[in-house]
Amino acid sequence: MGIQHTKTDSAALAIEVESLVDSPEPDGIYHDTRECAGALLALGLLLIAPPTPRPKKPSRS
Amino acid sequence: MAGNADALRSVIADAASGVALALRGGGGPDAVSGILHPDNPFAPAAVRVLGADVLAPYALGHPPPTAEAGDAQSVRMALAAYPPGADASEVSVWSYGGLAEAARRFLPADGALPPVPDADMAWTGTDPWQRLAHRVSQLAALAVPGLADGLAANLAPRVDDLSRGFVRAVRRRDWLQAAGVGRWLARLPDVPETLGLDTGLVFVGRLGAADPRVDLHVAAAQRFFGRGR
Amino acid sequence: MTAGAPEDSDGADLVDRVADGALGWLDARRDRFRLPADIAEPGVDVDRTLKPLGELAELAGLIASVHPRPELRARAEGLFAFAWAQTVDGGVFAELLRAEPHATYPVEIYGVFARAGLRHPDTDALVDALTRPLSWRVPRSDPTRSLGVLNAEDRTRGGASEAWQDDFAADYARTWLGLLPEPWALDRRAAYGLTHDVFHVTDWGRHRDRLPAEAAGYLRLWLPTWLDCWLDERSWDLAGELLAVAACVDVLDAAGSVDIAAAWRRLAAAQDADGGLPETGAEPRPADPAADFLACYHSTLVAAFAATLARTAPVPALVATEAAR
Repeated sequence: MGIQHTKTDSAALAIEVESLVDSPEPDGIYHDTRECAGALLALGLLLIAPPTPRPKKPSRS
Repeated sequence: MAGNADALRSVIADAASGVALALRGGGGPDAVSGILHPDNPFAPAAVRVLGADVLAPYALGHPPPTAEAGDAQSVRMALAAYPPGADASEVSVWSYGGLAEAARRFLPADGALPPVPDADMAWTGTDPWQRLAHRVSQLAALAVPGLADGLAANLAPRVDDLSRGFVRAVRRRDWLQAAGVGRWLARLPDVPETLGLDTGLVFVGRLGAADPRVDLHVAAAQRFFGRGR
Repeated sequence: MTAGAPEDSDGADLVDRVADGALGWLDARRDRFRLPADIAEPGVDVDRTLKPLGELAELAGLIASVHPRPELRARAEGLFAFAWAQTVDGGVFAELLRAEPHATYPVEIYGVFARAGLRHPDTDALVDALTRPLSWRVPRSDPTRSLGVLNAEDRTRGGASEAWQDDFAADYARTWLGLLPEPWALDRRAAYGLTHDVFHVTDWGRHRDRLPAEAAGYLRLWLPTWLDCWLDERSWDLAGELLAVAACVDVLDAAGSVDIAAAWRRLAAAQDADGGLPETGAEPRPADPAADFLACYHSTLVAAFAATLARTAPVPALVATEAAR
């Protein structure tokens, strides 16, 4: 890659610039807070709450 | 072209680090001037992407650069090389306008600077809050005292919506968006107390520290508007 | 009405369909709520037996007493009566309390029925004796849970004393809702705590005016963003609970209202044709009926509950924004 810009190079760079100036929103990354088993056990029965939480994968919208 | 894209991103990152450093008082704006020297073929493109932020340190009262300074030259080159086309997005027009406005304010007048384009502002009233926050974050460089006052006035009534966007961005771990919206919120009046903008900016700045642009937005919120400390 | 909106004349039809479908699903599976005969034996998992039954009773009881549509009330009444019958008209709680005299859950679940005037003399006598000691007043490790236990005490013993009110206020002050922390810090676990803070304070939506104004303002401001995130994550269970909370605080501002109507459409779209709503959209519903029940019962109950609350308070906001779209 040289210092000289070919026409294609500058056109591609202009597209790259535009995509950086107005970039789409990335997908959300959701992680659940993990709890130590001890903390979960200490709570005992969680009334009126969902069943035992299952491990979650990061989900994409 | 992947090589060019990587090289451009690297110049952007270096320049953003330089601006953040200058905003924190570490060295004057000259550091940025060195990074964005026109000898670097990616400097004008990087300036166009960072927009008004490349000149943000001058808003602290530093003397303006000479016309020959590296950043001054690169800004003029960027304005000439990357004007928004007929089909440019509103964000692109606004970001270009921010750079043009900053150039007129902080660079020596030499008659060669392009005018600030008229940009549509209807979206500030009509965008749903999610979209509004994302757009505003892309225009974070305009959150500088005295710059884009009209935009600031139009965003003020939507401070609750922008605050919701900040929460959404943090929950999505979109640190760049969160920092950008947070920087705008730092400028706006009547941010909801319960948002916790100050602790939020610190939180985002720490978790998003890998991206110098995140750090830059947090530094701007701190230095210009006294938030996030 | 623009493209993409449901073909309802108003939002009430949409939420009623959700409630109707959900109650139908639950009714068709009521046998899965049956308690085993050896429920008081130490080896029996109460999380999969008493907890679902208690939740069925709490939410069906609410729906039966406040839903505007008589056929839905009747269905919920049937489920509530079924739950009471499963407890052998409250006798099971006496059995449980004799086996575990320091446990709070039997009192909490008995409280659901006691609130509706269903009593069992032995259980009443045990509750009276067991909730007297000072030890009962020690706050639970989780202040939200403390609020639930205090509510149960109020429901079973009645006549909230000054000490009771002090305890409630002190525990409330330590909850998420009492502290009103940064909304961007709310994670899943805290979100479940927050929704239950609201349910306990309002007695499951019956007394929405008991929510302090500050808390209501906080919820109005931040609910749209939480709903957006958990719907995006297809976390239907939590989204349903947040919609129930939204019904407790009239979401008046335009942007927020539109969000609530849109959120209802997304939740309704996630409900399967059989009326079941999986806890999460991340994986397909299990083929095994027992596993499917566990994966769906809570979110399905919550959907019916939220759809009921949405019909008994700020429906105008929902209807108005549906029409305005």
